[in-house]
Amino acid sequence: MKQPSKEMWVSAQDLRNDPELLAAANREFPESSIVEDLGKEGTMDRLESSRRDFLKFLGFSLGAATVAASCEIPVKKAIPYVIKPDSIVPGVANYYASAYVDGGDFLSVLVKTREGRPIKIEGNALSPMTKGGTSARAQASVLSLYDTSRLQSPGSVTDGQVTPMSWEDLDKAVMAGLATGGSIRMVSRTILSPTAKAAIAAFREKYPNASLVQYDPVSCAALLDAQEMSYGVRAVPSYHFDKADVIVSFDADFLGTWISPVEYAKAYSTGRKISDVKSARMSRHYQVESFMSLTGSNADHRVMVKPSEQGAAIATLYNAIASAKGASTVTAPALNDKAKKALANVAKDLLNAQGKSLVVTGVNNLAEQVLVAKMNALLGNDGATVTFNDHSYQRQGDDKALAGLIQEMNAGSVGTLMVLDGNPAFDNAQGKAFMEAMAKVPTRIAFGGTLDETGAACTHVAPTTHLLESWGDAQPKADQVYLIQPTIAPLFPVRQWEESLLRWAQSPELDTTSDQPYYEFLKKNWERTFSSGASSFTSFWESTLHDGLLTLPGSAAGGTNNADVSSVASSLTKPSTADEIVFFESVNMGAGQHAGNPWLQEMPDPITRCVWGNYLYVPIGWDGGNDYTFFQGLEDGDRVNLEIDGQSVEVTVVHQFGLMPGTFAIAQGYGRKVVGKAGRNIGSDVQGFLNTNPAGYASSMASGVTISSRVGRDKEFACVQHHHTMGVTGADPSTGKTINVDEKTVATIGAGFQGSLVDRSIIFRGNLAELEQLEEKIHHKREEFQALNDKGLYPSYDDVYKMGHHWGMHIDLNACIGCGACTVACMAENNVPVVGKREVFRHHEMAWLRIDRYFYGEMENPNVVYQPMMCQHCDNAPCENVCPVSATNHSSEGLNQMAYNRCIGTRYCANNCPYKVRRFNWLDYTTADLFPANEPRLNGEEMPFGADNLTRMVLNPDVTVRARGVMEKCSFCVQRIQEGKLTAKKEGRALRDGDVKSACMTACPTDAITFGDLNNTESQLNNDLESPLVYQVLEEVNTRPSVNYRARVLNREESLES
Amino acid sequence: MVNKQLIISSLLSLVFVLTAFVVSAEVSVDAGKQLFKANCAQCHNRNMKDNLTGPALGGVQERWAGREELLYGWIRNSQSVIASGDPYAVDLYNTWNKVLMNPFPNLTDDEIGSILAYVDAVYTGTEGGAAAAGPVAVVEQPKTNYTLIYGVLALLLALIALILARIVGNLDHMNKVAGGDLDAPRPSFREILTSKSVIAFVIFALIVLGGYTTVNNAISFGRQQNYQPEQPIKFSHVTHAGVHKIDCQYCHDGARRSKHSVIPAANTCMNCHKAIKKGSTYGTAELTKIFASVGYDPTTDKYIENYDAMSTEEIEAIYKKWITDNYIADKELATLDAKGEKAVKDQWNNLVASLTSENDPKIGGPIEWNRIHNLPDHVYFNHAQHVTIGKVDCQQCHGKVEEMEVVRQYATLSMGWCINCHRETEVKFNDNEYYKSYEKYHQELASGKREKVTVEDIGGTECQKCHY
Repeated sequence: MKQPSKEMWVSAQDLRNDPELLAAANREFPESSIVEDLGKEGTMDRLESSRRDFLKFLGFSLGAATVAASCEIPVKKAIPYVIKPDSIVPGVANYYASAYVDGGDFLSVLVKTREGRPIKIEGNALSPMTKGGTSARAQASVLSLYDTSRLQSPGSVTDGQVTPMSWEDLDKAVMAGLATGGSIRMVSRTILSPTAKAAIAAFREKYPNASLVQYDPVSCAALLDAQEMSYGVRAVPSYHFDKADVIVSFDADFLGTWISPVEYAKAYSTGRKISDVKSARMSRHYQVESFMSLTGSNADHRVMVKPSEQGAAIATLYNAIASAKGASTVTAPALNDKAKKALANVAKDLLNAQGKSLVVTGVNNLAEQVLVAKMNALLGNDGATVTFNDHSYQRQGDDKALAGLIQEMNAGSVGTLMVLDGNPAFDNAQGKAFMEAMAKVPTRIAFGGTLDETGAACTHVAPTTHLLESWGDAQPKADQVYLIQPTIAPLFPVRQWEESLLRWAQSPELDTTSDQPYYEFLKKNWERTFSSGASSFTSFWESTLHDGLLTLPGSAAGGTNNADVSSVASSLTKPSTADEIVFFESVNMGAGQHAGNPWLQEMPDPITRCVWGNYLYVPIGWDGGNDYTFFQGLEDGDRVNLEIDGQSVEVTVVHQFGLMPGTFAIAQGYGRKVVGKAGRNIGSDVQGFLNTNPAGYASSMASGVTISSRVGRDKEFACVQHHHTMGVTGADPSTGKTINVDEKTVATIGAGFQGSLVDRSIIFRGNLAELEQLEEKIHHKREEFQALNDKGLYPSYDDVYKMGHHWGMHIDLNACIGCGACTVACMAENNVPVVGKREVFRHHEMAWLRIDRYFYGEMENPNVVYQPMMCQHCDNAPCENVCPVSATNHSSEGLNQMAYNRCIGTRYCANNCPYKVRRFNWLDYTTADLFPANEPRLNGEEMPFGADNLTRMVLNPDVTVRARGVMEKCSFCVQRIQEGKLTAKKEGRALRDGDVKSACMTACPTDAITFGDLNNTESQLNNDLESPLVYQVLEEVNTRPSVNYRARVLNREESLES
Repeated sequence: MVNKQLIISSLLSLVFVLTAFVVSAEVSVDAGKQLFKANCAQCHNRNMKDNLTGPALGGVQERWAGREELLYGWIRNSQSVIASGDPYAVDLYNTWNKVLMNPFPNLTDDEIGSILAYVDAVYTGTEGGAAAAGPVAVVEQPKTNYTLIYGVLALLLALIALILARIVGNLDHMNKVAGGDLDAPRPSFREILTSKSVIAFVIFALIVLGGYTTVNNAISFGRQQNYQPEQPIKFSHVTHAGVHKIDCQYCHDGARRSKHSVIPAANTCMNCHKAIKKGSTYGTAELTKIFASVGYDPTTDKYIENYDAMSTEEIEAIYKKWITDNYIADKELATLDAKGEKAVKDQWNNLVASLTSENDPKIGGPIEWNRIHNLPDHVYFNHAQHVTIGKVDCQQCHGKVEEMEVVRQYATLSMGWCINCHRETEVKFNDNEYYKSYEKYHQELASGKREKVTVEDIGGTECQKCHY
């Protein structure tokens, strides 16, 4: 097997000991100082000052300070309620059950509000679907409520400019348009809400010439059609990843973006965790894909194929299974030999796990979806890991219906177009055609809360409420209905689109005299539809609203696969030899609908760790020795022209491991033109390359791509991959030996000295088959570390920590899938500032929690391990000793405390932190300082992000907003600790396990993070720590961290790879 | 000395515990009276026959006969009884315009029994003569002023220094004379005072003193001890907390359960002031401001519909009428005289000035109080921790607010002040199950190795208890 020279690496630069990287890693703050940077820009020239100027400044500041000090302290106001709502106690948070719905994406959530202001999203543990898990997108949705680019009133649109008008005028204008005849078409992303559909039905009663077209930006139409063909129901079945011993996914990013990632991740992780080492069991996960997706990075085995070979791969696996089961086979197109061989082994594995395996595919091709469904049927998975009585409705889109609508619009037969939800002129494969066609419709109304490409091309905008201001419901699965309740009154005079429809239909169902007409409509609809069997509707409604959900008996749909595979086999994708490109959906941005959300823009992509943009993935070549070649000699951050069929777009390049040669990949949904400030022109717009295949299904790949040579350079290439590195190894220039570059000085003191160890204990990993060796290795190493650590000179404070609480954390690297929900949750909980692309480029990102991504194993097709890394709250913390003002010190509860008001910004602590988790406020990112004129501009905004009072409503009032010049870092969510303790004290009881949960822990969809009290012997934390696979990062340097990690274990069958 | 104090204090606490036990251990009309005054009298009429903010309590036991448990539950938390769907409770709630009664979760069965006994006694007229229950004397620490002693001491020391300098000078002189130098000078007082060493010392002392004062003043920048702003409404804590002995937490109801003590919403005022429509000191002048804030018409005793949409003139008409009517009634006039007209106009102008500001030109809506206690943004303070768990008296930090006509900031609210208290305050360690995890301290307390556990001992002076 081909192994690179290193056990574990972060990038190709790391592998070849790139001198620039080593030089940068040697310094805590590798970037040049602000003054130098400004000097380079020429900004400093006009700021040059002489000695006289200096004295003038000195005198002025002294005088100003004196004057300012003698001024009166400004009068502050305290403004109480006039009539205080019973449910609100100022200073105490309320939680409301609701749901996060984004097209077909669904999550059951709790919304935390303070003084009636939503500030945080938590998962709802009552949901049998998502079980309390959340995603980065759901976590960030609270920020979009306070988006300054939200439309603040309805209006008419000319040339992309909105002229505000009143609702009365809009109603009149629209109803006049509706009355003129011509058919009325509504277009929307998947609608999960039964009541919204009832509203549409009511609208159609009044306007029988109206109809609805649903589409999904990243289409699953082929899957739906294949299900209809095979089982007679056009819906996504429920997949049970927890019940599968063997999981095979063809291009389905089910942990990141595919259909219901949180539900799947929750289930998937139960099969991946090792609770008992003695009788360890794990599912085995094969991913067949062309570029490394989030799901692929978590797989045990990745089988690499070209995008156009997916059909061939599916057919090959199908044939192997069909012939074993005696079913009819199909003619499989040609497939590369390596994949063929691997798939033969996959088939063996699948056949050994009949009824306990699962095959899924995200490819939007009918034949391929039919074959995959048939495979599950042949393997006996139907009714076991694939169930049909609890269908998922999370994808309902129909590519052909959308194409039909475009045809109708082009024919001029559509009189009114209403865009209920989504951005159809941009976010999908037919966006360009849609944009051209919609110009032929006389009345065009967009309901989006912010202006987007589609809205700008409409005649009217009728902005709808944000999700957190709306009443609604959602039925993501046949057996579950969820309620959405508003947690704040609409911030602007906007109106829910369902209400607008009902008003225009003059529906008798809508009581327009009511304060909240749609609320009444919703209740009525629920009373009709769901409350049968309940004795009192009021109590039924209140309990459902409290829980957020209602479970229904599942439908009794059958599970017999009646598909005739031979009839579709001809439409399998034919492999091509030309260079190909994949346009994938990114974990944070979706199809571009989240572009205006700075939290998601600044969340690093899990694999490439790039932020603020989409980047073209190019493959890395390897000579088998120590040299690595990059495609066309391109370096990270180079700009190139991407060309397909004469269309060309300039993009930035980033290297990608695990990319099939001859394949490129880039995220879709970027480069938006009409969106809030944060997302405007971020990344490159590749929507024009999206296309539909001959069968009418949206395709996410293209063939015949050419990449030009370097045409320029992204001057602010923002990739955090090499920022805050803590274990980069490199060659010692004097000896040529490989050592840790950041420990170079220590190493010269002598061999055996702690800290000079070449293989530092950052990641422990192993394979399920050799679990005992791993256990032994960890045991041996830890024993050695602890023996050394016990020889300390300084007294221990263990007896202090043994009293009261001692906070600690456990992170299971086997459960962590790298999705980033925790990073965004942390930003929301702790008021972590957004810094913008330029500042990230300067290594100034502020995230308290980063997810380190390491590659290991085979060079050309490596495995990945994700390591959430935050302050380790060392009980022997190196940062504390070096602070000259003791701004960082240790609490009796084992917390490494950071007192911002004491910090003078020497940054010694960050320099001395071996984990590189401290973040310094180089600039006034939060605009907490007084003089706005001095603000840096993020993304060229006129007003820095976060300076607006609207945006500031998202701040957590229990956490200090840090000013310029102070250090900050993970606090173990100390505000939650204090709150949990206070509640326990108020109730006069001991603190129970689970009373205090950190924000990252509650956000995690896979329960990879456990936070708790080490002194509570009954706690889940202590239970987790008993595993022999638990270790501490850099235990050898005797920092005594409070965060523990559990080793990464794969379930690889090594013989498969030979 | 210490032992003696200890003995006295333990004896005192023993007595206190015993009396508390006695009081709470049985049902008594006297105890009921105290409890009624402290808890109920703000809303329920003392004659038990007339309605006030809350219903007349006379005959309450008959009304709830057979359902005493529910009645007790109602008193502790009426919301739960209403939620349970008891028809009488729901009816009562609706009759009283859905205004919830304050919950009293801490009352014991015996205490409630005592209150009910007292209610019954007053209602049936069997309650004895007014037993004199003098207000509990607040024990005050005598505050000794040491400045004078220090001054005298400093003077004495200076005098001694001078005398010693003189003696040294004389001895030196004598020594020199004895050594044969008969012309040796003998330093005068003046020479001693102007000698280099004295001047150097004085300069040094001045620098130290000056530095000390500068640093101290610099540290106290932004502190607002004794800050006493005028408020938009001349609300008198003397009247409310002092004379009428309304519990602080009746209005500041956040203190027991939240980080904020909460400035009461205007509807809290209305609980009582629906009945008491004229103030004892200012008559209609101040109370009308509350009515105008919430939109309550005191003439008709009704909340005004669509108050939000009303113009200033319409509002003016309503409240001027109220002020005028009262003026006429008070002065026993037939019509408003010129003096009265001016008084009404002044009152109205004052009302408008108090309830509006540049940013908020509307009369209706919240009252903008001037915030007195301001902590910096990087300080986290939680009232519930101190009030509910620490059982700290409000007065300890806020001073005797019940004696303040206009509230002022009593404490410095400096970090040193906080820390000092945390160092000295004993944690009620045995009262709360929560503290059980501090096993070592419990053992030390039991073995007598430790006298008490202070807040500091359990980490109360660590940075991240207040800064995060």
